[in-house]
Amino acid sequence: MAETGRLTAPAAYAPSWMREHPVTALRIAIIITVLTGWELLARSGWLYRDVVPSLLSIGRALYETLSDPTFYLHLTTTFYEIGLAMVIGGLSGLAVGILIGGSKLMQHAYEPFLYYLGPCPKIIFFPVMIMWFGVGPGSKIAMGAISCFFPVALNVAGGMREIDKVLIRVGRSFRANTWQMVTKIYMPAMRHPIINGMRLGLGVCLIGTLLAETKLSNRGIGFLVIQSYTLFNMPQMYSLLIVLFVIAIGANALIGRLGGLDTIRRT
Amino acid sequence: MSKPAPLTKSRYFPAILGLGSFAAFVLVVEFLVYADVLNRFIVPPPSEVLAAFPRVIMQEHVLSRFVLTASEALAASVLVTIFGIAGGVLLYQFNLLRLATETWVAAVAAAPLVLMYPLYLVIFGRNATTIVMMGFTAGLAPIILKTLEGLVGTRRVLINVGKSFNLTRSQQFWKILFPAALPTIFVGMRLGLIFALINIVGVEYLINFGGLGQLINELAERFDLAGTYAAICFVILVSIIVFMLTERLERWLRPAG
Amino acid sequence: MAVVAMPTGRDSVPAARAAEPILTVDGIVKRFETPDGVLTAVDDVSLSVLPGEFFSVIGPSGCGKSTLFNIIGGLLDGYDGSVRVAGELVHGPHPSIGMIFQEESTFPWRSVIDNIAFPLEIAGLPKTERYDRARHFVALVGLDGFERRFPAELSGGMRQRVSMARTLAAQPKIMLMDEPFAALDEQTRLLLGDKVLQIQQELKQTTLLITHNITEAVQLSDRIMVMTYRPGKVKRIVDIDLPRPRTSEIVSSEAFGRYVAQIWNDLREEATRGMHDDESRKRRGAPS
Repeated sequence: MAETGRLTAPAAYAPSWMREHPVTALRIAIIITVLTGWELLARSGWLYRDVVPSLLSIGRALYETLSDPTFYLHLTTTFYEIGLAMVIGGLSGLAVGILIGGSKLMQHAYEPFLYYLGPCPKIIFFPVMIMWFGVGPGSKIAMGAISCFFPVALNVAGGMREIDKVLIRVGRSFRANTWQMVTKIYMPAMRHPIINGMRLGLGVCLIGTLLAETKLSNRGIGFLVIQSYTLFNMPQMYSLLIVLFVIAIGANALIGRLGGLDTIRRT
Repeated sequence: MSKPAPLTKSRYFPAILGLGSFAAFVLVVEFLVYADVLNRFIVPPPSEVLAAFPRVIMQEHVLSRFVLTASEALAASVLVTIFGIAGGVLLYQFNLLRLATETWVAAVAAAPLVLMYPLYLVIFGRNATTIVMMGFTAGLAPIILKTLEGLVGTRRVLINVGKSFNLTRSQQFWKILFPAALPTIFVGMRLGLIFALINIVGVEYLINFGGLGQLINELAERFDLAGTYAAICFVILVSIIVFMLTERLERWLRPAG
Repeated sequence: MAVVAMPTGRDSVPAARAAEPILTVDGIVKRFETPDGVLTAVDDVSLSVLPGEFFSVIGPSGCGKSTLFNIIGGLLDGYDGSVRVAGELVHGPHPSIGMIFQEESTFPWRSVIDNIAFPLEIAGLPKTERYDRARHFVALVGLDGFERRFPAELSGGMRQRVSMARTLAAQPKIMLMDEPFAALDEQTRLLLGDKVLQIQQELKQTTLLITHNITEAVQLSDRIMVMTYRPGKVKRIVDIDLPRPRTSEIVSSEAFGRYVAQIWNDLREEATRGMHDDESRKRRGAPS
């Protein structure tokens, strides 16, 4: 890592594959450096014991977590909450976005609310959600739905305004009814903002739901994370965080890929 | 115009409509609570929430809490700005490093980093450091990406102008690249500040430590319903004001064109 | 309802063509409210188009051509006067009128065949029937083999042919075109004109073309209506007595040149007026 300057021109003595694939070589080098540093730190005992557990124990914890049937029970709960939150928040965001983006008046009257509420920390609504929907999955779903609503609504409202006006005129000239206009013109014309909104929405939905689980629950991955904290089981906490990040980044990439499945991009 | 323009044509009509419907909504809630349609132990009447404002502000040391949260956010923002811009410049200067890690940084920016707060609790303890570090972690990746975007987006012709004047490498950076990238970097700084603030208030609430976030947690645990709602409204108000101010600041700092 | 033959009041229509008009536009007046006061875009415009006829409306920019297009197509409301198709008063988009727009208007998310089948889908035709019919129109505009391609993979001329096929697939009585070749280069424009002539010949398609291009209008039309600059009024209706079937080769004939010169004479005055108007507005600092 210290020789990044030189890495732009790989040393002559490097094996040929390294010269041909310098990016891959650098990536591998970074990964190896980080992992070695981690392991050395873990064995040196400089930090409090177990704050940086050895790679082996993290690996073992990951294996134990993934082979534990109760983990999948918690995973199912979390998936169920996130799924329902995405449906509720996404659909209401879509509807509100279409309404607000569809008229200048609605936009000027109501979009500022969305725009300024959007970046507020949503987790502070959790105490209220507990009162409304109880301590069970209901309040977590509500948290996820609130979080996901804003990016979807804002993106859809923006997308509505950017629809090519001539396409709307085409629809009208063929006498499409309102439902046909929404399903055959508005929605497909807004596919990119919708997908982008869903992607941002999923990110914050995940955060909203899981944070709520860490605050107050007895089920779900968030609960497992906070349990590993109270039990001071650091390897398990690391393994859970790894699983979470893999899921989050994977889902993000998957939705992004969905947006890529579009021939218009071949232009 | 000979006859007065109707209200619906007025420039302020949309704003009046928006605020008016908000006021109407509040009044309807108030009415529904008094009509016992809404349970007042779940939804306190808005008038009580309003009445709770001065009480919460006077008795719960809102001012010192606000200062605490604000200084945490400031500390996190300074860290985010220094390390974020440095990171972006580093990735720009070493193209190979950029090719190898840009997708990683983007993935980190999309990852739910705030879920690491229990880990930070273990590492830094239940104190302000955890909160500041959490804000720093959350805000770092966006500003790296924005700095990089700004530098990469510098118009080719400006770079050629620099070359035509035989600028040294450092002159080229400070006189051409950095000023050209500055508007985008400001966007990144604002994003970083907002991310940091969201996560700081959130973590304060979650770990029940520190400023405004903790206030909500305490009032909720005391079952002070009107107080909880009032505190939430206060935090929303603060974040809206911060959001607006940074927006102004960004527009003011951005060089014309 | 009895079909009333609308007297056009203009003797330029030869008696030989005195069949029942299929499209009658009568006394259209359209005003817009602008910050500078009321602007009359179209002022008392009447025209009638006979079955199978190719009729063009030509005028300088700002003569209200596109306003007229939107009124006849039923996309614009709040005007005086009437639009009738075969004697029937028309309000709003009408199945007898098919519109082809100036702008790029293919759906980027639909393949060629799905674009062309769109109006049939809106009308609720069963799937096999609408694809059968759409395929017929794919062939008509010469896009065989491109059915599964997406607009982004086609050239501008091909995309405009997709729009044309999509409008024709609805089998309108009247095809209404608003500068359909405006975004294309001159060669593509001429070749596409040939395609339009050929299709019009094949389908005996009544067509109303709105354009500012004189060559295009003379190449394609049976009659041309020249409009004045702001407010848009009827200046003259010219009969184009060129032999059919035509191709773009006709552009080089002497008779063609005479028609072009005659119409340019009429138009020059209007275009000059428009240009001066535009310049004086720019001088005052108002956006054009």
